[in-house]
Amino acid sequence: MKEGFRQAMAWLHTWIGLLFGWLLFAIFLTGTMSYFDAEISHWSQPEIPLRPLDSGASVELAQGYLQQHANAASRWFIGLPDERAPALSVMWQNPGKPGERGTFVRKLLDPQTGAEVQARKSLGGEFFYRFHFQLQMPYPWGRWLSTAAAMVMFVALISGIIIHKKIFKEFFTFRPRKGQRSWLDGHNALGVLILPFHLMITYSSLVIFMSMVMPVSILTSYGKDTQAFFNDLFPAANAAKAAGSPATLAPLRPMLAVAGEQWQGGRVGRLVVNNPGDANASVSFYRHGGDRVVHTPGTGLLFNGVTGELESESALHAAPLVIAGSFYGLHMGHFAGPLLRWLYFLCGIGGTAMIGTGLVMWLKKRSLKHAQTGVLPFELKLVQVLNIASMSGLMIAVASFFWANRLLSTGFAERSGWEVNVFFISWGVTLLHALVRPGRSAWREQLGLGSLLFVGIPVINALTSDYGLTVSIPQGDWAMAGVDLTSLAVGVFLGWAALKTFVGVGLPAIAVGQTKRVKPIAGKPAPTAHEVH
Amino acid sequence: MLLALLLCYAGFTALCLSMHRHYSDLLGHKLTPGRRLALKAVGWLSLGLSLWAGVAARGWDIGLVEWFAVLMASAVTLVFMLPYTPRLALVLAATGLLISPVVAVRQLLV
Repeated sequence: MKEGFRQAMAWLHTWIGLLFGWLLFAIFLTGTMSYFDAEISHWSQPEIPLRPLDSGASVELAQGYLQQHANAASRWFIGLPDERAPALSVMWQNPGKPGERGTFVRKLLDPQTGAEVQARKSLGGEFFYRFHFQLQMPYPWGRWLSTAAAMVMFVALISGIIIHKKIFKEFFTFRPRKGQRSWLDGHNALGVLILPFHLMITYSSLVIFMSMVMPVSILTSYGKDTQAFFNDLFPAANAAKAAGSPATLAPLRPMLAVAGEQWQGGRVGRLVVNNPGDANASVSFYRHGGDRVVHTPGTGLLFNGVTGELESESALHAAPLVIAGSFYGLHMGHFAGPLLRWLYFLCGIGGTAMIGTGLVMWLKKRSLKHAQTGVLPFELKLVQVLNIASMSGLMIAVASFFWANRLLSTGFAERSGWEVNVFFISWGVTLLHALVRPGRSAWREQLGLGSLLFVGIPVINALTSDYGLTVSIPQGDWAMAGVDLTSLAVGVFLGWAALKTFVGVGLPAIAVGQTKRVKPIAGKPAPTAHEVH
Repeated sequence: MLLALLLCYAGFTALCLSMHRHYSDLLGHKLTPGRRLALKAVGWLSLGLSLWAGVAARGWDIGLVEWFAVLMASAVTLVFMLPYTPRLALVLAATGLLISPVVAVRQLLV
């Protein structure tokens, strides 16, 4: 009975893992990159200068700029620079016609001079972040699909735990150079050792999209108007109407100081000014996401915009909201400092690699039978093509995005969209390439090309911009240098993987090194001599 | 985070050595029951202490997250180092265990 259950779980794990593996690999890879979204954005918009942080001066400059350029706007949004994102961003909403939403305008300012920065148009890290849950599909289909993928991932994790017979006995086991055995060891080790991360990231993604996963409780109380549900949850987002009589907006800088005191040294991340220049003006200060683990959207300090006095503080108290906010915060990792952020990134790579090893194993196991003839039947060839394009092909697509960012002319109006097009076109080309080439050659060529492209990223950066490694490292611009150096490391890894495909050509990999054992390091191989100890 | 990392890594190494197969593979002789018990105790104690170290340094919210992060990182490092550089893996754990009191004193003072 128990074996029957385990077998059923193994079947489930195998097949949902295959069907959703390709998609999950892409979601995990781009999601992992999103832990450095601000750094990638900084790399892709190098014109934004890196300045010493001074939020007081930044707020003052932003207010000056907005009063000059957006005095008639209905709302202002000010995003303060931090150590990850150097730009002072200002956005405003023009008053819309009755029943219509006003249009938004966004500008980036130099936080030292307050002058507009003419940065090249690029989505940067935002592209990978959006892709990892919207999948470049129209709303809401991408979100639906990624939520479904998250659900499948959760099922795959649980069924994976069930079918792993020796979680504790093989907890520390990884046996390299043993073909199929090594892939399974690697898959299991990555799954088990990083299990807390896998469970957290998968479960939290379901929490984030809970209104899509389990909408019934919301639908019964609110009908189709889910926005009303969120308005009730986060009332601070609802602003008062304009009075219609003009009044001077109080300076924002003193309010910032009050907010800093109120939060005992906590940082302000962004602020929203409602009805600037109106008697009913109000200013909301929102805390920087890096201060706490719990994500608390829509909670902050509300100031009277004319008198400049603190009126109220809204905070999350309801336990379910705090729990949901914790999962949200844990998933996004905004609070993580550099070291923890790298650990997040490495865990993400571990998850991506776990999915990748699973896909490779599925195919290896089934293609053993055909090792003699070397010809795969259609369904296995299909899996092979999709494996290659979804893994090495995606790496090429990612590298192409970075190349496009440096090679497309900075003045080209459609460049931001074309960076994305280049990403998808290269991905498509890798799919075609995988279709026409034999499996091992396709792997080798794509991994090799990916390696060259990634190693080339710091080179092309140094050649086409003034922000190459020789400049960024002495300047201490570690976001810029970090992207370059990480690309270099990824390139070296892909090159190593490409070389690996030369090993054991024509041989079933499982036959290699089956009799090897890890040598004892004490140098005295006779165990009987030590039994007295 | 450093103290938690050292203790996690040393703890996992001790727990790994408390298993017969790993012990004889790594050290070349057989594991005695007494030593097995001692290694288990050291392993679990180190892991427990590492949790304290993480939470004491940064509080329950971020400290706990950091603890999980170093827990996973140290286990992955150990498991993927063992087949390639087993000697270094063990030396790292021993060094970590040796300097952890110094790091602990530093963490308590700062």
